[in-house]
Amino acid sequence: MTRVIALWCPDWPVVAAGADPRTPAIVVSNGRVTACTAAAREVGVRRGQKLRDAQRRCADLEVHDDDLDAQARLFEQVIAVVEALCPRVEVIRPGLLAVPARGPARYYRSEQAAADTVRDVVEAEGFECAAGVADGSFAAALAARVLPAGIVVPPGETARFLAPHPVSVLDRPELAGVLVRLGIRTLGDLAALPAPDVLARFGADGALAHRLARGLQARPPATRPPGEDLAAAMSFDPPLDAEPVVFAAKSLADQLHENLGSRGLACVRVEVEVTTSDGRSWTRLWRHDGLLSSPALAERVRWQLDAWRATPRKGSPGPLGGGVVRLRLAPDQVVVDSGRQLSLWGSRVASDAVERAAGRIQVMLGHAAVTRPVLTGGRGPGEQVTKIPWGDRLDSVRAAKAPWPGRVPNPAPAVVHPEPQPVLVVDEYGRPVTVSGRCEVSAPPAEIMLAGEPLAVTGWTGPWPAHEQWWDAAVARRLARFQVATDDGRAWLLLVEGGRWLVEACYA
Amino acid sequence: MAMRSSVGVQDYSGSPLVAGPIPVLPALQGLLPGGLPRGQVLTVDAAGALPLALVAGAVPAGVPTVDLWCAVVGLPESGMLAAAGMGANLDRLVLVDRPGERWADVVATLLSAAGLVLVQPPGPPPAGITRRLTALARQHGAALVVVGHWEGARLRLQVTSSLWTGLEHGHGHLQGRRVKVVADGRGAGGRPRSAWLWLPGPDGSVAGADLGVVESLEAAG
Repeated sequence: MTRVIALWCPDWPVVAAGADPRTPAIVVSNGRVTACTAAAREVGVRRGQKLRDAQRRCADLEVHDDDLDAQARLFEQVIAVVEALCPRVEVIRPGLLAVPARGPARYYRSEQAAADTVRDVVEAEGFECAAGVADGSFAAALAARVLPAGIVVPPGETARFLAPHPVSVLDRPELAGVLVRLGIRTLGDLAALPAPDVLARFGADGALAHRLARGLQARPPATRPPGEDLAAAMSFDPPLDAEPVVFAAKSLADQLHENLGSRGLACVRVEVEVTTSDGRSWTRLWRHDGLLSSPALAERVRWQLDAWRATPRKGSPGPLGGGVVRLRLAPDQVVVDSGRQLSLWGSRVASDAVERAAGRIQVMLGHAAVTRPVLTGGRGPGEQVTKIPWGDRLDSVRAAKAPWPGRVPNPAPAVVHPEPQPVLVVDEYGRPVTVSGRCEVSAPPAEIMLAGEPLAVTGWTGPWPAHEQWWDAAVARRLARFQVATDDGRAWLLLVEGGRWLVEACYA
Repeated sequence: MAMRSSVGVQDYSGSPLVAGPIPVLPALQGLLPGGLPRGQVLTVDAAGALPLALVAGAVPAGVPTVDLWCAVVGLPESGMLAAAGMGANLDRLVLVDRPGERWADVVATLLSAAGLVLVQPPGPPPAGITRRLTALARQHGAALVVVGHWEGARLRLQVTSSLWTGLEHGHGHLQGRRVKVVADGRGAGGRPRSAWLWLPGPDGSVAGADLGVVESLEAAG
């Protein structure tokens, strides 16, 4: 069993969001709190809480969106200082990294000294952190969470250390739910069960959790004939900038998975090696206790390149040293792939040709230029669609299923202006129509003037008031919507906000 | 058309071996019998419900077997909610809202991958670009739908009459729009075809609104 030092930066998502730890702030994903500051915790905000519950406990809560890319970019600074001390840093996720303890422990005389040294350099960089040492990265990560700043679990003691932890630390909510209902509340209870029974009842994933609970590695390492190169690499001539490399990474990741899949293997740790045109090469290890799928792997390559682009290394002539000439993905820790069955024909999200075309356009115009529409919640027609850049994850958007009282009724307008356009609305005497604070219309609209073109109104309805996000003064909007049909056969969705009339959409 | 069915014979990778015309909504069958011919250029007069209806027909929701994608270029204002209401599967859409000067390159790239490319050029396209993109559409068997004018387009769809219903003075809400759509051009087989449609109807979908009565009244009047 390998000894591992885990370095954990608490509340990393909020730190990356730029929140002050002394003010209550949370990071939210899918309407639930994923991280909160110490100040927020003091007033009773917890991870997993609903946003509304959190806001009820604390009125002046700062809310941030979950931005994994930003978290990975900032974490790169932590990785850089740790890497200067000990080699072979594994990133488990932004906010948590692991280092094999053997080398540093010898160099710094003891594991405790090594962990303290690592913690000190990261704290000197200005990040709050804790370090723990134990057998395996799962236990080490938990050891790092022991207050005040992590502990060293002596070799062989890991199972005893893990025993009192609740099963929820396995980060498998479904499994944990069943276990708790069966009366198995701690890792110790789980570890006490016979392994074959756990496998029979809970399948491969349960067996994996059982191994973790016993202080073993999640998957036994796979033995394979030496000399077999499973890595996937691609060379670029001429050298490429970071953006196109990410697209290459995706196909490389697919290739890697094919290599492994054909041998019945999977990998839990991947080494990403980037070689630049000035002959340098940078490597980073990425670990995932589940299995790294190819989009997840490509995403990690993107984090890595983004971070390097944002903070050029010392002594390098420029971002990425003038271009990437080679990208290599090597499975670093290979395990037997058990209990993961793809559907018979696979499940492809996008066909290869479309993927390629979207990739080429992203190279031409930038990552955000190619998007996919997703229906989300909202009242106005523009708010009900979110455009997600191609290749980004489609979750983390507001659910469309939730009721939105005051929503503009169907049918939806076919032309929705990205920016509402100013319009003049006058009554039959040519006076501007106004809407009072009590939603009284001064006179029926008779004509609208759009970009100098007068259009006679044949029918109208409204006002439909909407008072949006009134709880937050910075983004609160108070507006009223009107539907107006004009004599040219078109109809308009107008909105009046702060005395100004705007065209939100056109029913054309 | 030799192949009427929109679903070609599929090999196991999911790409159609025999590609038929691109399907259209049932309500548009009268205007475009059999569907949108592949490899040709079609123009519509303005952005709005009509081009979205073509998109909805090409990538209908709930038909996962057809490996067809649809790209929308240079139309940041197109109402995706309206497209979904007409029955489009938004998962099959690729949007390039602001291609800028490189719109022709973007369209050229997309023609190789998407079955239907809907584009609004920023201005009248130069003859060289028109020829190049028309040739690419033919080569890849994709349908290019252009909002605006296009030299050498096979077919032109126009909304010639439009009336919204459901709105009174101060009450009600927009219910549906009855339009007359006319298809003409070389691809129409000599004679312009026309159809009365609910574009959209009260539930957002497209349906026939065959009011022969209205037609004959117009002729008489």
